[in-house]
Formats: sequence, C-alpha cells, structure tokens
Amino acid sequence: MDKHTDHFLLLTSAWLALVALTLASLGLSEWFRDISLLPLLVAAIVWIKGALVARCFIESQVAHPFIKRVLKVFIGIAPIALLATSFFGSTLARWATL
Amino acid sequence: MNINALSNGERNNESHSDHDLQMTAATLDAPAPLEDSTRRIPGNKGMWAGITCEFVEFTVLFAVYFIARAHFPDAFHAGAQRLSVIAGTTITLLMITSSYFIACSVNAIRQDKHRAAIIWLVGGLVIALGYPLTKALEISWNLAQGINGESGIFFTVYYYLTFTHLVHATWGILGILWVLARLVFRGYSSKDYAGLEALACYWHATDMIWLVIFPLFYVLA
Repeated sequence: MDKHTDHFLLLTSAWLALVALTLASLGLSEWFRDISLLPLLVAAIVWIKGALVARCFIESQVAHPFIKRVLKVFIGIAPIALLATSFFGSTLARWATL
Repeated sequence: MNINALSNGERNNESHSDHDLQMTAATLDAPAPLEDSTRRIPGNKGMWAGITCEFVEFTVLFAVYFIARAHFPDAFHAGAQRLSVIAGTTITLLMITSSYFIACSVNAIRQDKHRAAIIWLVGGLVIALGYPLTKALEISWNLAQGINGESGIFFTVYYYLTFTHLVHATWGILGILWVLARLVFRGYSSKDYAGLEALACYWHATDMIWLVIFPLFYVLA
C-alpha cells in the first residue's frame, strides 16, 4: 500500500460501515429476537466488523503473514464459538463438564 | 610474448580494479531495498507480540464465556436483558470513532501533515476518554439496579470480561498520551512514525475485542 496516498475516504467509509453495522445489530436484536437464526446474523456482523477494522485500519492485507494469520484467527474464533454454543449448546456443555 | 602476456595481465588487473570501483560506486549509489509490500509490520514487532498476547488472553476469557453460556443458556438470556443497551452502544460507538480518529492521525503523519495528525490524535484521545466515563456511569446504574458481581453467572462473566477490557483500554489511553506528547515535540514524521502506528494498532486491537464483547452481552438478549 502506498504510504503517501491519502486514505481518508477509505477510513471514513469503514467508520460509517462500522457505525451502520452496530446500529443494525441493535435493530436485529429487537426485530428478530425470537428467530433462531439471530445468532447467525450476529456472528456474521461480528466477523464483518472485525474484518473491516483489520483490513481498513490495521491494513492487514499488506501485513506480515504472521500478523495476517493472528488477525484472521482472532476474528474467526468468536463467531464460530457463538454458532457452536447457539446450535450445539448441550453437546458443548457435555464436552466441557468436569 | 611474455611481455605482451604481462602487459595484457596488467591491463586485465587494471580493468578488474576499474570494475571493482564501478561496483563499489554502484553499491553506494543503489537505493535501499524496497520494503516488501506484503510482509510489512505495522508499528513494530514488540507491539505485535503484545497484541498477540492480548488476543490469547481474551480468547481464554471468551472460552469461559461460551462454556458458561452453554451450561446456563437461560441465565445468559435473562441477564443480557437487564444490562443497559444504551451504555453498551455508546461504548461501541466511542471505541469505533476513537479508532477511526487515530487511523486518520496515522494517515495524516504519512503525508507529513503534522498539525492534522495532532488534531486527529487529540480527537481520538477525547473520545477514548468517554469510554471509562460511560463505564463508570454504567456500573453505578447497574449497582442502583442491584446488579453486582454476585448477581449470577452471567454478571460474574460480564464484570470479569468488561473490567479486563477496561484495564486494556486504560493502557491504550496512557499510550495515546505518551504518543501525543512525542507527536507535539515532532517525534514523528512521514519517514519515522512507527511509534504512532504501533499505538494505533494496539487501539484497533482493543477496539476489535470490544466489537466481540458488545454483541455477547448487550445484543444477544
């Protein structure tokens, strides 16, 4: 990425998208409270927001492969765990029982 | 024949030494090797070691959250409804916006816009300070509602995770103050801004963690 290029528009677009997604997730929790797919929608929003911060603010696409991998894993863990808990909660509880 | 050979050898030696001189000059004049555009370390290595440790720490805390949620789904469903969604949303917007302002500060210093970089960073600091303030108001509101660390498994996990995040954010705010002081005294320029970028990466990472915490406690009611 060219360091001397002005990325103001890209950063502003990412910020607006993050604000919109935050408000959308609040709306989803109100409108689709009783829908069983709510965790799927929330997980998707969490993943998109994390990817936006990593790509637009941290510039992960031009970062060292180790940094790219760390960010990818961290962004992916919570949505996957959320889906696992929501759809296979009792199995997970059984596995995690001492 | 021998004389010719000798003179040829001398000529060869001379041409070798000329060649060496040219090579040395070429080496001295050659531009520094370009940074590999796909292996860049934003900020510095030390900060990324810290961020990786921070991610590992929160991954463990999230594991605790998900295991507790799998065991007590009803407590987590009911608990989230008692928290202040306004406080959670406000903190999210503050984190996102301060992250954006700090990214704009890095963008400005890359173009040697020193004054703009200071203004963006001050803006980021002021907005970041809204986080502990909102958190203090949220906790006093919680206590007024009778919600404390012993109000059930959901609230124990909630206080533990959010307090840990607040501690990390406080370190970030102290980091912003330090970087701002350096920036005011011209410690950074378009040629050297690693310190400012390292702080920005830490704050973005802390922001990413909050973006996970927010839906887990405030949205999934």
